[in-house]
Amino acid sequence: MMSSAAANMPVLVVIAPLFTAFVLTTLARRIRLVEGLVVFTGILVLIGSGFLAADVFNKETALIYQIGGWPAPWGIELKAGSVGVFFLLVASFVSVPVSLFSVNNLSDEVGGKERTARFYVLYLLLCGAMYGMAVTNDLFNVFVLVEVATLSCCGLVSSRNRPRAAEAAFTYLILATLGSTLILGGIGFIYIITGHLNMGFVHDELNRIWQSEPHVVWTSFSFMLVGFGVKSALFPLHVWLPDAHSTAPSPASAILSGIAVKGYLICLLKILYNVFGYTLMRAFAINTILVLAGSIAIIAGAVLALMQTELKRRLAFSTVSQIGYIIMGIGIMNTKGLSGTLFYLAGHAVAKAVLFLAAGAMISASGRKKISELAGIGRKMPVTMAAFTVGSLGLTGIPLFSGFVGKWYLILGSLESGSFFPAVVIIAGSILCAAYLFSVVRVAYFEPAPDENWKDPGLAQKIALIVLASAVLVLGILPDPFLELAGRAAEELLALK
Amino acid sequence: MFYLVLAISSGIIGGLLVAAIPKDKNRMRKYIVLIFSALGAFFCWRVAAFVFSGESVELSIELGSLNLYIKPDPLGAVFGLIASTLWLFTSVYSFGYMAGKHKQRTFYAFFLLSLGMTVGVAFSGNLLALYLFYEMLTFSTYPLVIHERGPDAMKAGAKYIIYNLSGAGAILIAIIETYSLAGKLDFTGGPILAGLSAGGLNWLLALFIVGFGVKAAIMPLHRWLPAAMVAPTPVSALLHAVAVVNSGVFGVLRVIYSVFGHELAGQLRISAVLPWIAAFTILAGIIIAARKDILKQRLAYQTVSHLSYSLLGAFILQEWGLAGAVMHMICYSTLKITLFFCAGIISELAGETRISKMKGVGPSLPVTMSMFFAAVLGMIGMLPLNTFWSKYYLMKGSVAAGNWILALVFIASGIINAACFIPIVVNAFSGEKVRPQSERGARAVLMLAPIVILVVFAIIIGLYPGIVWPGVEAVVNCYF
Repeated sequence: MMSSAAANMPVLVVIAPLFTAFVLTTLARRIRLVEGLVVFTGILVLIGSGFLAADVFNKETALIYQIGGWPAPWGIELKAGSVGVFFLLVASFVSVPVSLFSVNNLSDEVGGKERTARFYVLYLLLCGAMYGMAVTNDLFNVFVLVEVATLSCCGLVSSRNRPRAAEAAFTYLILATLGSTLILGGIGFIYIITGHLNMGFVHDELNRIWQSEPHVVWTSFSFMLVGFGVKSALFPLHVWLPDAHSTAPSPASAILSGIAVKGYLICLLKILYNVFGYTLMRAFAINTILVLAGSIAIIAGAVLALMQTELKRRLAFSTVSQIGYIIMGIGIMNTKGLSGTLFYLAGHAVAKAVLFLAAGAMISASGRKKISELAGIGRKMPVTMAAFTVGSLGLTGIPLFSGFVGKWYLILGSLESGSFFPAVVIIAGSILCAAYLFSVVRVAYFEPAPDENWKDPGLAQKIALIVLASAVLVLGILPDPFLELAGRAAEELLALK
Repeated sequence: MFYLVLAISSGIIGGLLVAAIPKDKNRMRKYIVLIFSALGAFFCWRVAAFVFSGESVELSIELGSLNLYIKPDPLGAVFGLIASTLWLFTSVYSFGYMAGKHKQRTFYAFFLLSLGMTVGVAFSGNLLALYLFYEMLTFSTYPLVIHERGPDAMKAGAKYIIYNLSGAGAILIAIIETYSLAGKLDFTGGPILAGLSAGGLNWLLALFIVGFGVKAAIMPLHRWLPAAMVAPTPVSALLHAVAVVNSGVFGVLRVIYSVFGHELAGQLRISAVLPWIAAFTILAGIIIAARKDILKQRLAYQTVSHLSYSLLGAFILQEWGLAGAVMHMICYSTLKITLFFCAGIISELAGETRISKMKGVGPSLPVTMSMFFAAVLGMIGMLPLNTFWSKYYLMKGSVAAGNWILALVFIASGIINAACFIPIVVNAFSGEKVRPQSERGARAVLMLAPIVILVVFAIIIGLYPGIVWPGVEAVVNCYF
């Protein structure tokens, strides 16, 4: 029994949230039950991905699952490799405290029980799609999951009953559809010249024939880069993100910024390394493009973040900047750089989630959105602001916090590849990051507080904040197991030539 | 090991305790500050005793494949002693200075926290630990810089953070490059990069020097320091004349002697330029100081100038130079803190911050002004005071390195120092006695006692330099 559960784990972690999502639609009135089910499913998936990670880690090979028992060229394959389980672990971990945070807290933001239940349905669909992206090994499946994720993101963005939310969601829908189309086009081109959709087969075939079809490969590359660039808000394709992430309810912002954009990046990572492969990326100088695009995103995103006066918009632009690090890291094609990227991805996922949740708590307690209006809130809401500070330290990359380890390996990787430029950009980005996050901390702690009755949120929310903040610390102080897993993943990505 | 943890954590725990007790418990807060700064100093002396007797005290915290390694060597022990001992004096002084001022809890909490961080910088045994504490020192002193909360203070704070974080960024890149070249970061077992060929390491040294040069206020990276003078005087005295800036100097010493080693550093082309940058800072700093009318500003630029004494000593890569650099760290600190303390008393008790308005201050503050005079003599490098010896070693080192022009720089700087500060004292004692005698009361005693003791110390060291020489010698023997 256990062994069959273990063998089916790659598909179970994807099915569980999708299944629960459909059950929820029938329970819309009983909101307590809905919330319980969502948190419970999250924990189940987390345990499942823990087992899966342990399994993959110990066996040192990827776990392959054939849907319906059909072998690869005919059936669809799920492959839980090190990259996949790493992301699965991060995503399923972050989704639990985020759903815990929304317990008993959402109906004010989205308005009414019915809408709350709908929010959870979309939330679970998004999670399912993310877990699917982690384990899928099939190009068309990637497209399907990307679409599921996009539509549920769109729903989440518009879940607040405000005109601004609808506008943001509409912008997002238009741009994201454009992105999906490009991704589909890219997949189509690959399919035309290789005749396969399974990543492994495509890779072998593509490496055999790419020299005879360089233009098609080039087109496909660029479609993929732009398509996933739009989805993951790579500067200057980020225009949808600030509105979408800042108008969504806080748990949605946390999951959108923390996990959703990363899902697309994992897809991009897998497609670049597992489908095209190292040789093609070098041949088409994709790595240089990624490093350049990442660098521009880091600096531009940070400068834009610095210019924002609203807290949630600042955090949203910060995501644009942080995405740059990950894109840049994907372009640093060695073990250190790639493991740094993956680690950074994990660090940013937890840090950004805690920042958005804390920001949401502060905004809903005080009713104020601007940073300058939040003066002295650190003393009124100690737990929330402490979590926010930890998240800021984590994102900035102070030693003992999550961001530092990721940045360390990114810089190490870039220096190892003989290029000094990314290291300077990473440091410049960190300094800007300190500027835009610590000024919030400064205002919150060192400016006089108005005479208002602002209070920390309820117990569930506090637990969620504390769990995420401690994750930032754990990743910084005891990074070993995660680094090891990220290192394995990097080797796995680089093993295919 | 036990003492090591206590030495670093007494400041941190004290700071947290101060933050935890209610705002209005003023007496209790003072006791806590006094006890924990005394504990910090005591444990630093214990650790230093171990280090100088040759016993090894260390502590290693694994962080993945990296580790935070804390192991003081003689250089670290000397710096730890300077910082923690002067901290105690500053605590007493600030009880007087801060009496009746606002936001005392925040002030003392971060004041103690900075003690822990400075001791951490001093005792760190590898570059990662050094970086961690160095960065934390910036953050824990920021609230002290913006203590006044006015627009000036906020601007100074922003400058402080931007300069120091940029410096730390340069250091981080350099550290990672060092790690990827040598595969280790520990200071023990000889210089980290020893044995590598000098080619291509020029920029690495430059990066390190730029990074640490921010806190050490090498020109043109010094601009944050005069701006930070908006902070309360105890902060200007201890942090921006001693602890923070000396941690920059300490970092430079570490880089040259523990990371590169004087042999490798000597092969680098850049090391021919570095002494001249320091010499420029020495002269330019003191010349700018002469043009400032606000006393604290003048003192700040003098700090810029004097920090480069130590840097110049380090850059000439010669044993007497290193001895002079370490000696100057010790001697300069005791006197510079005195100067700032005096400036604080003048502004608090006589209400004057401008030099041009200080005519006749002397008779109303006789003790303060005499101590100020003694410290000024020290800054010039006159004999009964300890700085004579450090200057002597520095000049000896310059000549031994075959560069007598550098020795002339010290002489010139001494002369400008005299021209810059002696008139202040002369002016203060001349003219009418316009103000009443104001060195009375408990507040004045709390502020004056540390000053007098420090000057007495400085004279004792000046007369018997053998007291501190073993420490300096131990440092030099470590590296030569």
